[in-house]
Amino acid sequence: MKDNIVVRITDIKRTYYMGKVEVNALRGITLHIARGEFVSIMGPSGCGKSTLMHILGCLDRPTSGDVKLDEVDVDELDDNDLAEIRNKKVGFVFQTFNLLPKLNAIENVELPLIYAGVGFEERRRKAAALLETVGLKERMYHKPSELSGGQSQRVAIARSLANDPSIILADEPTGNLDSKSGEEIIRLFKELNHKGITLIIVTHDQEIADHSKRIVRLKDGLVVSDESVK
Amino acid sequence: MINLAEPLKIAYSSIISNRLRSLLTTMGVIIGVAAVITLVSMGEGAKSYIMDQVGSWGVGSNSITIQPGEENSHTIEMNMTYADAQALRSKVNNLQYLMTEFVGRGRVNYGKKEYKPGYTLGVSADYPFAYKQGAAEGRFFSHAEDAGRKRVAIIGKTVARNLFGEFSPLGENVKINGVGFKVIGVLEEKGTMLTYDMDDMVLIPSTLSPLVLGTNKIWEMFMTVNSEDQVPQAVQEIKKILIARHKKEDFHIHTQQGLIDIINNILNAMTGIVSAIAAISLLVGGIGIMNIMLVAVTERTREIGIRKAIGAKQRDIFFQFVFESVLITMSGAVIGITVGTLAAWGIMDWLKMSAVIAWGAVYMACLVAFLVGTFFGVYPAMRASKLDPVEALRFEA
Ligand SMILES: Nc1ncnc2c1ncn2[C@@H]1O[C@H](COP(=O)(O)OP(=O)(O)OP(=O)(O)O)[C@@H](O)[C@H]1O
Ligand SMILES: [Mg+2]
Repeated sequence: MKDNIVVRITDIKRTYYMGKVEVNALRGITLHIARGEFVSIMGPSGCGKSTLMHILGCLDRPTSGDVKLDEVDVDELDDNDLAEIRNKKVGFVFQTFNLLPKLNAIENVELPLIYAGVGFEERRRKAAALLETVGLKERMYHKPSELSGGQSQRVAIARSLANDPSIILADEPTGNLDSKSGEEIIRLFKELNHKGITLIIVTHDQEIADHSKRIVRLKDGLVVSDESVK
Repeated sequence: MINLAEPLKIAYSSIISNRLRSLLTTMGVIIGVAAVITLVSMGEGAKSYIMDQVGSWGVGSNSITIQPGEENSHTIEMNMTYADAQALRSKVNNLQYLMTEFVGRGRVNYGKKEYKPGYTLGVSADYPFAYKQGAAEGRFFSHAEDAGRKRVAIIGKTVARNLFGEFSPLGENVKINGVGFKVIGVLEEKGTMLTYDMDDMVLIPSTLSPLVLGTNKIWEMFMTVNSEDQVPQAVQEIKKILIARHKKEDFHIHTQQGLIDIINNILNAMTGIVSAIAAISLLVGGIGIMNIMLVAVTERTREIGIRKAIGAKQRDIFFQFVFESVLITMSGAVIGITVGTLAAWGIMDWLKMSAVIAWGAVYMACLVAFLVGTFFGVYPAMRASKLDPVEALRFEA
């Protein structure tokens, strides 16, 4: 029977080789995340949170271990297939927003749809709807430089939702925002989670983590605790 | 299926948002293409100018001139006859027109008036076609009239003016060297060519040359064949026929081939030089484009990372950058073609000639620019497409 596990990683290791020095960023992580979960990943700087997110988001491959996304065995796929998974199954939200500065909000949201081969009319319609969802209906034709940090991050979230992904990965999404904008972003995430979207966010902020349903703590590339939020 | 329209649009908007840099990037291509187009347009213009000049003389590239006497001999033995001409007329393949020309001095009398034209020529009925000079008034005589020794004459404008003033000479009777003729036509005006007044002449049927001009030796035969490439074969046939009749090669043959060969050689040499300029400038331009594209890839590492993170495949990135390179190069070619053509027009106008749009060179420039853009765009595009997404995202410009 197909259970409802979206992310299934088993004994993931990731080693960076810098000349003769080995850096073991991840040293054996096993994690299962079910559909509809809202997970926070916490831990001290350098413990491997971003490395883990990159592997979950198919931007990077583990040195060893098994990654299954939506029951698809990622290890077996080539770079093209990974690009397709990033496009269709994963939505990434970054600390630094990572919008293309020359495109306006709606064009930025359209980008994943372009690479999915969606025609102009449909992707305009979809991007507009998504911007409305994140409360930026009035800012569709603004460039990132004309938007506040919180607004930029909401554009990025709309972009991450473009292809109805199985999972949204957000690496310190509030890290560059003031606390008020951060609160708004977290409220948006909670709304999305209520609609059934699976979320994994990395954060240093316990208050933000407390909004999620489950907190996974890492240390030195290992999971040290994994518990539900009361 | 690979969607190429989207990478093309992305490449286009990237160029548009960097207009000045794109223009400077492709400057090498612009200058190279402009230089080539200018030179080729001028060359083509000069060629058609020369061909026009040659053509207006009445001698086209399909013409053959046969003159008595051995090549380069100083004593000319006049030994070609009307019978020789008739033999050629009946035996040479692809013959278009054959003009025999007997030359003598003439004295024309009309009533009490007398006039000595520059030339009095006995010619065949092909004259108006071979020399592209027909009758402005009246008509030319026919082959039948030539063969039948009809005493009809065609006179040039200068002759007409001197003898008849304002009146029409058509149908008037004149005496040429004492022999009575009826004027049936006035030649089209040709003006002066190399100080000779081309309208100061009288034409009579070639068969009357012995009687009127006192000669039965042909001064020159002028013939044309149907097309330029039949000229060499016709020359061989003429030689064979005349040698068979004369038992020796006591004549010489000129064709326009020699002149055309010289013109073509000059133009080919010019094409060679132009091609060399084009090759060098496009190579330099191409390297310039590759250099800027490599810089662009580095500058836009983060953009590439973002695009990859949200699902761009290697080929999406690859085509985006190749198209950018090709579009920049092609724009350079288009600008170069425009500038080059305008320059050629300007220069040729100043030289009182007209430039020809060198379509061949235009297509060639577009094709070569496309190839250069592709060739020098591939390596930077490959580098871009192979960037590791995580590394690229971490890149700080
Ligand atoms: N490309 C790399 N080459 C070498 N070492 C790396 C590379 N990327 C990360 N590391 C190392 O791997 C470890 C984990 O890094 P990672 O970025 O995952 O930490 P993090 O938990 O996200 O930290 P932070 O909270 O500061 O973002 C660190 O020791 C880091 O120095
Ligand atoms: Mg990190």
